[in-house]
Amino acid sequence: MLDIKNIYKNFGDVHVLKGVSTHVEKGEVVVIIGVSGSGKSTLLRCMNLLEEPTFGEVWMEGRLMTPPDPYLHEEVIRASKTYGRLRSEGLDDAGAIKKIKDEDLLKEKHPRAEGNAYKTELEKIYRENGIDINLGRQKMGMVFQSFNLFNNKTVRENITLAPIKIGRQRLKEAKKRGESVDKTPEDIVKAANAKAMELLERIGLQDKADVYPSTLSGGQRQRVAIIRALAMEPDVMLFDEPTSALDPEMVGEVLDLIRDLVKSGMTSVIVTHEMGFAKEVADRVIFMHDGVIAEEGTPDEVFNHPKNPRCRDFLSKVLY
Amino acid sequence: MTFITNVAYIMTKYWRTFLLQGIGYTLLLSLIAVSGGAFFGSLMALAKRSRLKLLRAVVNIIVEVVRGTPVLLQLYIGVFVFPMIVPALSSLPYIYSVSIVLIINSSAYVSEIIRSGIEAVDAGQMEAARSLGLTQRTAMVSIVLPQAVKNILPALGNEFIMVVKETSLASTFFVGELMTSYLKVKGYTYLTMECLVIVGVLYFALTYILSKLLKVLERRMKAHA
Repeated sequence: MLDIKNIYKNFGDVHVLKGVSTHVEKGEVVVIIGVSGSGKSTLLRCMNLLEEPTFGEVWMEGRLMTPPDPYLHEEVIRASKTYGRLRSEGLDDAGAIKKIKDEDLLKEKHPRAEGNAYKTELEKIYRENGIDINLGRQKMGMVFQSFNLFNNKTVRENITLAPIKIGRQRLKEAKKRGESVDKTPEDIVKAANAKAMELLERIGLQDKADVYPSTLSGGQRQRVAIIRALAMEPDVMLFDEPTSALDPEMVGEVLDLIRDLVKSGMTSVIVTHEMGFAKEVADRVIFMHDGVIAEEGTPDEVFNHPKNPRCRDFLSKVLY
Repeated sequence: MTFITNVAYIMTKYWRTFLLQGIGYTLLLSLIAVSGGAFFGSLMALAKRSRLKLLRAVVNIIVEVVRGTPVLLQLYIGVFVFPMIVPALSSLPYIYSVSIVLIINSSAYVSEIIRSGIEAVDAGQMEAARSLGLTQRTAMVSIVLPQAVKNILPALGNEFIMVVKETSLASTFFVGELMTSYLKVKGYTYLTMECLVIVGVLYFALTYILSKLLKVLERRMKAHA
């Protein structure tokens, strides 16, 4: 469902991610653990392009969200002038491709330098697979460490804002394409409000629908933030340390909600420091260290029989 | 005693010059400067956030130059230079050129107010909106700007008060605002001190009323937070 291909992320001279690839299946729950600064939050933020990866590709349900990365497509490399030059110097096909990949030879910042064929290949890949970032993001719900509820909107408006805005936009586009639409903008508002109340009831906060987020407790805010993401009916949920900013007594209520969600089959990627929770809900655990995936496996493999010494070290510090 | 009778004499004889012409032109100039400044300042704030490097650089240079030179100097340059660029201005009173200079000056300050007001909104608000699949534009209009306005309006009010005082410099070109009234009436009566006190009280009354009005506005906005 979600495909991460060879992601690099540099902030200036700091290399936060150094080639991360992974794949999230439908219904799978992936938990990412690791020390602070290991790149786990950055990886999560790269998944919905809140951070734009420096290299690499993100695929959501078979559609490419990032610009195509030439190194991941051999047909693009073959179309480049650099490849032509290496072949004329006597290297065979596999050798030339390997040399280009290993030594980072493509002048990708200057597409013209690699010739028109190269440029056409890249454009073709994007034309055939590319998807508007906003469309991709609509399928991914994101929950932040610091909640990020809209301060200028009531709880209900927080939940309905995106469904209403995007619903209206889709309606307009459908009309423009000349399709017959059986919905009016008012229907969209009505449906969004009904959905919001249904979700609020689910977390027992229906009486808070018309208050502003500043009056809620941390746990309540985070639960509202979760259902705000759910209101867009996403296919995958990304959780970025959802309980790290909470008072200890409020961690439970948020974890309970995430657990419910995960048990109901929601595909999720969770960055967390709650190891007990990770062990309980994860189908797969990823241990990040220094910008790469250092260990990956079932919770039993990673927590009980870690092979990577860094991972063992980390776990011995957090599991007591 | 003579001081008070002199003030009373001046006010009965020249109240129109002070209260109608003086305050009228001062408020008119301030309003032109701040509303023009708000309009062009917003555009400049947008330009500063633009992806075009050249546009950003040009706007930054304008802002730095305007903020780094005295208004009086800007007025002199404006009054001499604008009529050369736009010949139509040379047959019009100075107040037109003066207004243009004040608008440019105010735009520079307002653009900084708006920029910092937008930047003061937590980046998480924009991220949350984008993560839901909203466009940059929608996120800006529905989430960030409404919150930025709360930071911007009080500072914009202060800018208005600053401009009211700065318009006094326009008296160099005799455009008719409060300080010009002082120059005129002093010329008729030779009562310098009395005229100065009258003008001072009027400026103070103007800015004091404005700042009180702003307080009320701010309190109202907080109530709707």
